Amino acid sequence: MLNRRHFLMRTTALATLAALPVAAQSAPAVDIFIPANPGGGWDQTGRLMEKVLLSEGLISGATVTNVGGAGGTVGLPQFAGQFSGNGNALMLGGMVMVGAIIANNSPVSLADVTPIARLTGESLALVVPAASPFQTVADFVAALKADAGAVPVAGGSAGGSDHILLGLIGKTVGVPATSMNYIPYAGGGEALAALLGNQVAAGISGYGEFADQVAAGTLRLLATSAGERQEGIDGPTLRESGVDVELFNWRACFGPPNLTPEAKAGLVAMVEAMATSDAWAQECAARNWTRILMTGDEFEAFIAEDIARITDILRDLGLAT
Amino acid sequence: MDALALLAHGFSVALTPANLMWCLLGCTLGTMIGVLPGIGPALTIALLLPITFQVPPEASFILFAGIYYGAMYGGSTTSILLNTPGESATVVTALEGNRMARSGRAGAALATSAIGSFIAGTIGTLGVAFVAPYVVAVALRVDAAGYFALMVLCFVMVSAVLGSSATRGLTSLALGLMIGMVGIDVQTGQPRFTFGEVALLDGIDVLIVAVGLFAVGETLHMAARRYAGRDEVLPLSGSLYMTRAEWRRSWKPWLRGTAIGFPIGAMPAGGAEIPTFLSYATERRLSRHPEEFGTTGAIEGVAGPEAANNASAAGVMVPLLTLGLPTSATAAILLSAFQSYGLNPGPLLMQTEPDLVWGLIASLLIANVALVFLNLPMIGLWVRLLRVPAPLLYGGILVFATVGTYGISRSPLDLVLLYAMGVIGLLMRRFDFPTAPVIIGAILGPIAEVQFRRALMISNGDWTVFVTSGASALFLMLALVAFVAPTLIGMWRRRKVAGTSRDG
Amino acid sequence: MTGEPARDPVRGMALPETALGLAVVLAACVAGWQAAAIPVSPLYARIGPTVFPMIGAALLGLLGLLLMVQGMRGGWQDPAEAEVALDWRALGLVGAGLGANVALIGPLGFTLASTVMFTLIAAGFGSRRPWRDAPIGFALALGTFFGFARALGVNIGMGPFERALIAALGI
Repeated sequence: MLNRRHFLMRTTALATLAALPVAAQSAPAVDIFIPANPGGGWDQTGRLMEKVLLSEGLISGATVTNVGGAGGTVGLPQFAGQFSGNGNALMLGGMVMVGAIIANNSPVSLADVTPIARLTGESLALVVPAASPFQTVADFVAALKADAGAVPVAGGSAGGSDHILLGLIGKTVGVPATSMNYIPYAGGGEALAALLGNQVAAGISGYGEFADQVAAGTLRLLATSAGERQEGIDGPTLRESGVDVELFNWRACFGPPNLTPEAKAGLVAMVEAMATSDAWAQECAARNWTRILMTGDEFEAFIAEDIARITDILRDLGLAT
Repeated sequence: MDALALLAHGFSVALTPANLMWCLLGCTLGTMIGVLPGIGPALTIALLLPITFQVPPEASFILFAGIYYGAMYGGSTTSILLNTPGESATVVTALEGNRMARSGRAGAALATSAIGSFIAGTIGTLGVAFVAPYVVAVALRVDAAGYFALMVLCFVMVSAVLGSSATRGLTSLALGLMIGMVGIDVQTGQPRFTFGEVALLDGIDVLIVAVGLFAVGETLHMAARRYAGRDEVLPLSGSLYMTRAEWRRSWKPWLRGTAIGFPIGAMPAGGAEIPTFLSYATERRLSRHPEEFGTTGAIEGVAGPEAANNASAAGVMVPLLTLGLPTSATAAILLSAFQSYGLNPGPLLMQTEPDLVWGLIASLLIANVALVFLNLPMIGLWVRLLRVPAPLLYGGILVFATVGTYGISRSPLDLVLLYAMGVIGLLMRRFDFPTAPVIIGAILGPIAEVQFRRALMISNGDWTVFVTSGASALFLMLALVAFVAPTLIGMWRRRKVAGTSRDG
Repeated sequence: MTGEPARDPVRGMALPETALGLAVVLAACVAGWQAAAIPVSPLYARIGPTVFPMIGAALLGLLGLLLMVQGMRGGWQDPAEAEVALDWRALGLVGAGLGANVALIGPLGFTLASTVMFTLIAAGFGSRRPWRDAPIGFALALGTFFGFARALGVNIGMGPFERALIAALGI
């Protein structure tokens, strides 16, 4: 759908427009590219970035573009193509995209864009209905080992972060991924309803989806997937419960491919200034987002490690080749 | 009564001049986005979420309540006037509503839909206020097997929309089923019917199918037979609003539609489309004017589904406010609005934040009143839309159809699919295939498949789950009744006619 | 479900209807072929991902065959409808409008592509005043673009034109 002429016309138009403020040495105008439809998590993150970048005087203006679909793998090639070499463009992304790239065999991967910074994240939670016989992770694991098919676990889409976590738990305790009874639900509400209606044995989702129910006592938190206990979450981590698994559903921003080292450093500095500002901290707190800033080489190593781990587990689940 | 006092308190929270202004703004905005094809309340509220950082909670919830109910009112307008439903929940309204418009009763169709929406919305909202905890307890017990049985009931009832030929109606339905299967299989994550196209992995949005088949299809159809003149819209005849006979024929469908819409809306996987299909099928079976269905347009076929649509919108509030359980896209966005105020929208919300919950319920009631007063006078204006010259009218419709599809997703493939659906819509109109079953198949098919497979997975392969689950047994029984009843009633009527030789 | 209206026995095979039935059969074949190509994962699933697509394809194929039979027996199209000749000029202009929109919305942006589409569709519906239609379409599209950009913050398809306008107006 994207022919060469269209592509050239767009990039030249962009370059001329973007070049003006840069030449004036003032704050640049940036393009924020969101590979998801308006309204979702990446969209909210991107729009919040726009707001904070503007209020901190780091940019003079932003153009937000949404191209949704297939966990970000529809937007990713467009971003990599249209903005190649453009030092004033940022794309949102995250762990969901890592999984989608592998599962969808996407020809363009995160290796084709420039990692800038990991921004926020959320640990996943393993919960059971209040009436469940499972009191601890050990009870849950014992039931899995006895007959995994009889333990239906609700979560998000097949191959998504919730499924990956169940796969990782199974792998760690020695239950084959393919024997586990994972029931995927689209959207948070339906999985929650199945849990509240005692239709499934356990559920996995972002902690935020369950927080209020856990507080009210209608669901019991067995463990979170965080590396260490987090403030405000009253429950052990999986690792503390004897299952050596850690998983974060992170959100990050990326630059286009073929950036000069200066351009990359500029973007990193800009995002770093934004992510360490008070305004960013306040806005994230208001949305219950955990800030897990990580930039540069450290972030690149982190992504590489996450990709390897997720590829492994998706292969076990039969979702990657 | 305790709840009454709380509701009165809610009104005292909501009824300030500033809040009434927010309400009016929300109602207007909601009606507008309802009229535009492809843009729904969920998206609008999502994009207006940042407003929660600037205004007090009551103000933003009143605004959102207005948008939510307003979109339900506005959605029927283009269905009735232009045969181009803006969202899938108003597809059924187009069936009879547009026929009515063509026979000069556009005003009555719009009025019955506005008043029906008002009545259903009000009863539904009062239901949220007074019986929510009981409804939700029942709704939560509907499991995967129950939803599958509900789909079976829908498929049995769907024959009402199959049109003049079972073969062609079923072909439309099968086409819809196939369209619904495009994309990643939810259960196993495998791509189906995607032809290697990444943009198809998320499936084909039902909105694209609906807007393509109806809006684009209608435009092509009208263009192709411009000089044939058989589809001319008759000038308005009779009163702008409803006649006494039309009132008499409307009130029962309004109430039945409410009774169907509210509980299904309260179910976690109920949605707004299924109740409208069921209501239409019910009205068609119960009507004393079956000859008007699909010909001159039967007002019952507008009144019932429109009421069901709004009642289900109210029903969605039940699990949201009692359990903090979002069961529709709009509810999920409202939930995050609660959260951005630092509120805990869990099962304790009604106890911990009575101001807000009752303020919201009061806002929904106020929005309903505002909307009926906003919409009834608008009918005169809307009907004038039919006088916009066809060249400009259809050009405009397609500009808005583009906004609702490409404008939101920015996917050129969506645009191509939209127009391809339009060509299919043209062929279907030309060769007398009903179009509504395509939408119904595309909506029901995936739900039926997912729930069927999910039920078997949860039961670990035990097939008896479909009869041992209470909800499933109930719906299957209803389906059996719906299947057998017409034959029995027909036999009974024939006997009666033969016995007394009196016209029934 | 009412029965088929009685056929006029002298009517022979109706070509369009038969072709339509054939098209449905072909679509069913493609669907069946694609359903067979769905990879079956080793995941725990009681009913695999191919079962429902196969049932759907079979149903569609059966219905296509029935339609073909009906077509060969004289078809079902209302004779009055069949007599209405398609207005190919109008269809062509409207189709050109849609095609132009698909081709232009990327490179030119929403406003200009919509203006072209609007003008072509208006011409298809018999308007002979493109110089009146184009400005109306342009105003409608521009208003819609900025309405969405301002009120909801959604970029419904920015192209060079909108960029230049925003830059020129400094908004």
